[in-house]
Amino acid sequence: MLKPAVIVRNLHKWLGLIVGLQILIWLATGLYMVVVNIDFIHGDPLVKNMQDTVVVPDNKLLSVASLRARYPDATRIGLKPLMGKTFYSVTTANNRYLLDPETGTVQSPLGEEAARDIAKYHFTGEAPVISATLITSNPPMEIQTRRLPLWRVDFDDRFSTSFYIDPQNGSLVTRRHLYWRIFDFLWMLHIMDYEDRSDAHNLLLITAQVTGLTFAITGLWLLFYSFNGRRRKSRAAIR
Amino acid sequence: MMRLLKKLHKWVGLLIGIQVLLWLLSGLVISLLDPQIVSGKQWAVTSETVAQTLGPLKLLEPAELPPALLKGATGIDLMTRHGKPVYLVRNTDGENLVDAMHASVITTEKSGAEQLARKDFGGDGKIISIESGMAPDRETRNSHGAYWRVNFSDPASTSIYISASTGELLERRNSFWRVRDFFWMLHIMDYPGRENFNNPLIITVALIAIWLGISGFMLLFGSFSRSDFFFLKTPAARDEVVITLFDPGVQQPQRVKLRKGSNLFLSLATHGVSLASICGGGGECGKCRVRFETAPWPGANEIELGLVPKRLRERGYRLACQQTADRDMTLNLPEGTLVSGQ
Repeated sequence: MLKPAVIVRNLHKWLGLIVGLQILIWLATGLYMVVVNIDFIHGDPLVKNMQDTVVVPDNKLLSVASLRARYPDATRIGLKPLMGKTFYSVTTANNRYLLDPETGTVQSPLGEEAARDIAKYHFTGEAPVISATLITSNPPMEIQTRRLPLWRVDFDDRFSTSFYIDPQNGSLVTRRHLYWRIFDFLWMLHIMDYEDRSDAHNLLLITAQVTGLTFAITGLWLLFYSFNGRRRKSRAAIR
Repeated sequence: MMRLLKKLHKWVGLLIGIQVLLWLLSGLVISLLDPQIVSGKQWAVTSETVAQTLGPLKLLEPAELPPALLKGATGIDLMTRHGKPVYLVRNTDGENLVDAMHASVITTEKSGAEQLARKDFGGDGKIISIESGMAPDRETRNSHGAYWRVNFSDPASTSIYISASTGELLERRNSFWRVRDFFWMLHIMDYPGRENFNNPLIITVALIAIWLGISGFMLLFGSFSRSDFFFLKTPAARDEVVITLFDPGVQQPQRVKLRKGSNLFLSLATHGVSLASICGGGGECGKCRVRFETAPWPGANEIELGLVPKRLRERGYRLACQQTADRDMTLNLPEGTLVSGQ
């Protein structure tokens, strides 16, 4: 019969071979996530003018009543700020519109020029826009859950910043940049969901965790033998 | 180098091993819990309320709303809420609902909250109590403003949080969420807030822990030898060596056949020859000394240099856990090894 110390040591060695790499990945990806500030990852320092206020239009201008007459199936009529100016937004069962509150002209869907301007209005950096693309299908993974179409406006800055703008109402829907993309990739490695990067309730992860947990327990157990051996050795040396 | 790595691995393990264990344990608990249950969606009545049209009633214009509310508004929306036309006015510190016919600010009373919560909850339980509170707190950390907390008697102790101003459903909480939240706290080491994983404590521990991983990973390469993977070879290709063992207390020498290239300590142990050891063959305790019968002695590595005194090394003493059964050899064991080992 092998001594417990021998069994535990070999278990630690072989389990290490099986999950050692994943443990190292957990530690390294975890380190990135705790060290890099989450507000920075969310791109907070990249945006400005996000709390603009609306100016409620005078009744003599385009009224809500007239908009209701124009869009009888409207479910929502709102006032929203866009580049420092107030616009009407109208939501019907099938569509959304952006309207000038004075003339009532429909502004949506916004074109490339407007998308670029909106992006620049919210961008804190100095770098110029390098491209603007209207995404109508096959969205990149970083906006997987968002409603399309969206304008993607890329800046020529060192973070490879992309702003996503809703052509129907001009909102800055989300922003992505290099460190967000790294975070997202590392998160995928951390939760071992290589497809959607979002499901931590998966069998592969759970299997690795159970193995990893056993590995950690054997490691702690070994500490007991290691330090015990050390103590007795030094006592023997004194004798 | 190996000795240094071992030391590093051991001391870092002693320092933060418990937290590494907690990371794995809490990570496991979190991923075992079904997010559908944790979020309470499991028992939520999916009210796919199709947005209603505003209808024909005469409604107020935005300019007719109370000026105090409009000041600093970041968005105003006319919509229907529970069948009534309302204005939702957003500003930097929250939202207000205003009746679109009478310009009065709508608040949600206890009875209204009760009704809304009951409508949402489809689980097996009745309302047992309703409390009021102010967000953000532990269970409403993503919201702002006054709320009603409606508690149910279901086995999962569901609480549904309804905004006291807009009547919006803020959160669905239950025991599963609470368990998850506790382990999440352990995972991110933010004990008061359970929210901020950029805290100095976890950064410090993570910076130390990465060394446990790196040193462990490097030790992994050193701890395996080709003979560990003997099972990949065909039986015919597995070479053996003969080890002759002498114990001063036993008359007859014992012969064992070991796999060529295997670790002497472990291989002997699996053949019933149990050498003295505390650490179990880790090169830590220096107990598994054996004396090689014939010179030239095999080389002593840095661990043996540290654990076997020079006068003994010069007489052929080595640590079995640091030696390889690479050829036929004769070993002298401490008295009693073979007797007690059998």
